[in-house]
Amino acid sequence: MALIECRGLTREYKKGDNIIRPLDGLDLDVERGEFVALMGPSGSGKTTLLNLVAGIDSPTRGELTVDGVALGSLSRNKLAAWRAQHVGYVFQLYNLVPVLTAYENVELPLLLHALSRRERHGRVMTALQRVGIADRHDHYPRQLSGGQEQRVAIARAVVTDPTILVGDEPTGDLDASAAEAVMALLGELHDDLGKTIIMVTHDPKTAACAERTLHLEKGRLVREAGAMEGAAV
Amino acid sequence: MRQIPFHYAVRNLGRSPVRLATSLIGASLVVVLVLASGGFVRGMQVTLSENARLHENVMIIGIGSEEGVERSQIDASVAGIAAASVPRLTQRAGVIYASPEIHAALPVRESSESQADLPAVMRGVREVALLVHPEVEIVEGRAPRAGADEVMVGALAATRLGVSQERLAIGRTLWFDDREWTVVGRFRAPRTVMDAEVWIPLTDLQIATNRESSLSCVVVTLGGAKFSDVDLFVKSRLDLEVTAIREHDYYASIGEFYGPIRVMILVTAALIASGGVLGGLNTMYAAFAARVREVGMLQAIGFTRVAIVASLVEESVLASACGAIIGALIGVVLLDGVAVGFSMGAFALTIDAPVMLAGIVVGLGVGVVGAIPPAVRCLRLPIPEALKSF
Ligand SMILES: Nc1ncnc2c1ncn2[C@@H]1O[C@H](COP(=O)(O)OP(=O)(O)O)[C@@H](O)[C@H]1O
Ligand SMILES: [Mg+2]
Repeated sequence: MALIECRGLTREYKKGDNIIRPLDGLDLDVERGEFVALMGPSGSGKTTLLNLVAGIDSPTRGELTVDGVALGSLSRNKLAAWRAQHVGYVFQLYNLVPVLTAYENVELPLLLHALSRRERHGRVMTALQRVGIADRHDHYPRQLSGGQEQRVAIARAVVTDPTILVGDEPTGDLDASAAEAVMALLGELHDDLGKTIIMVTHDPKTAACAERTLHLEKGRLVREAGAMEGAAV
Repeated sequence: MRQIPFHYAVRNLGRSPVRLATSLIGASLVVVLVLASGGFVRGMQVTLSENARLHENVMIIGIGSEEGVERSQIDASVAGIAAASVPRLTQRAGVIYASPEIHAALPVRESSESQADLPAVMRGVREVALLVHPEVEIVEGRAPRAGADEVMVGALAATRLGVSQERLAIGRTLWFDDREWTVVGRFRAPRTVMDAEVWIPLTDLQIATNRESSLSCVVVTLGGAKFSDVDLFVKSRLDLEVTAIREHDYYASIGEFYGPIRVMILVTAALIASGGVLGGLNTMYAAFAARVREVGMLQAIGFTRVAIVASLVEESVLASACGAIIGALIGVVLLDGVAVGFSMGAFALTIDAPVMLAGIVVGLGVGVVGAIPPAVRCLRLPIPEALKSF
């Protein structure tokens, strides 16, 4: 059984008499430990798919199970608790809390886990070291560059050791070198820690870091290619 | 449910100094308002209902004048007859505690040249009044002597007359009945109507009001007697045309008369305070609306909506609590004890524990009520949309 299983996954919005269907009967399996890139034109449903998998949105129809849990059946609060346990989310715009230091931002999701202060400290420092920003743990987001902010955000996403790590254009707002550094970091997290990663990106170069690239168009998968094949085309 | 840390709420206060200032000023104003109106109502209530609470006095007054002792006219002999007829009244060193009194609302002037009538509440008394009304304590000077054109004044008498305290200092004079009267004593009788009165020897006031052979009332202290003893006395002496009423009940019924005014004051205060809350709501909407995306992120990483609302309310209550403390300090320093005149006397704004509690509760309530609607609105968007907002 795959870690993530989508069967006929559909998300619809009603706009007056019109029905908008950003995701239209999608079937997809993602194995544990895979690094998947999600590509496609703007409006093709990438964010919608990612949000469903991350449990911050619910499908209109179809099945979605992650690690054996059918997300559609969870109540709002159960889903929140599930996210805290199993999902690390990296946003395009970092979304760090401006009034908290880097350390406190990374500590935030750990507060939802039953850990002592000392245990939290150990985890936060490990995560900050991993993203290479431990020396700036007491800086506030405004004192950091965009690339550094995104590293803190990645530390926040991995500090709970989540089952899946998702990113919605995590390098979309960064300059080339910062983007490269962030991608290298995600690659490391995958290679060293065996993290399952799903990442939306516009940039083929970024997508090339993944093992597998999915192409979405109008809410459907149009073509799937492994990284090697993709490079050969 | 796991909580969002307290320091998040604390530091969020600093995000918008303007909003913080608005919250502080708003909450402190609301609290000052509550303390002022509450202190007013409480002061009036305490003055009219705690009068004679400690002390079992019964007023013997003219039938039909139960609602205003100033209108009562009874024969001067009632004092002696009552003292002799009602058994077991309090007695000390041969003096029976039966105080013949005249209560009169009289216009007085500052001097013969002055044109302005000042509304004084006068009580004509004999020495026994100080025994029957032990709340009265002479704090300066002495009691007035009969026939010497002397008076003594209560601590709130100046407020009642609308003049400064110095104007009623010992040695100063007042003008009424075509004569100058010298202030020879100052007394206090906190939380009673007497605090606002001018006391004058009974015979002097009888002459000044042309009622040599009449009184307004006789106040007796029960001691070993029961109210029924006094009641029996007035009912057995129908010829005297008097009735008995407990002093406490008398002032309580006057207090009831002012009930609607108190309600009006409280309602007005509540309306103004709600205006403050609405104003506060506005700034809170703006403050929280700017945080929709952040709140979306907090939900995305697993905090429940309840935890987030709790944190936003915590933040708001923190601000309003600081405001409430400022308001409470202003109230205690500037308002407590301030004298207010009203038609039948004067009383002091009384900011005691119940009033202070009401002020603090309302202040904190402003924080809660002001934060919940904006917080709920801030959480209205589904998480995916919240994450897209700017
Ligand atoms: N809340 C919503 N209401 C209506 N339509 C929406 C909503 N969210 C997304 N959509 C529509 O769904 C489609 C796919 O959106 P999205 O998944 O964000 O695309 P992508 O991330 O691939 O650019 C778009 O056409 C968008 O307009
Ligand atoms: Mg998108």
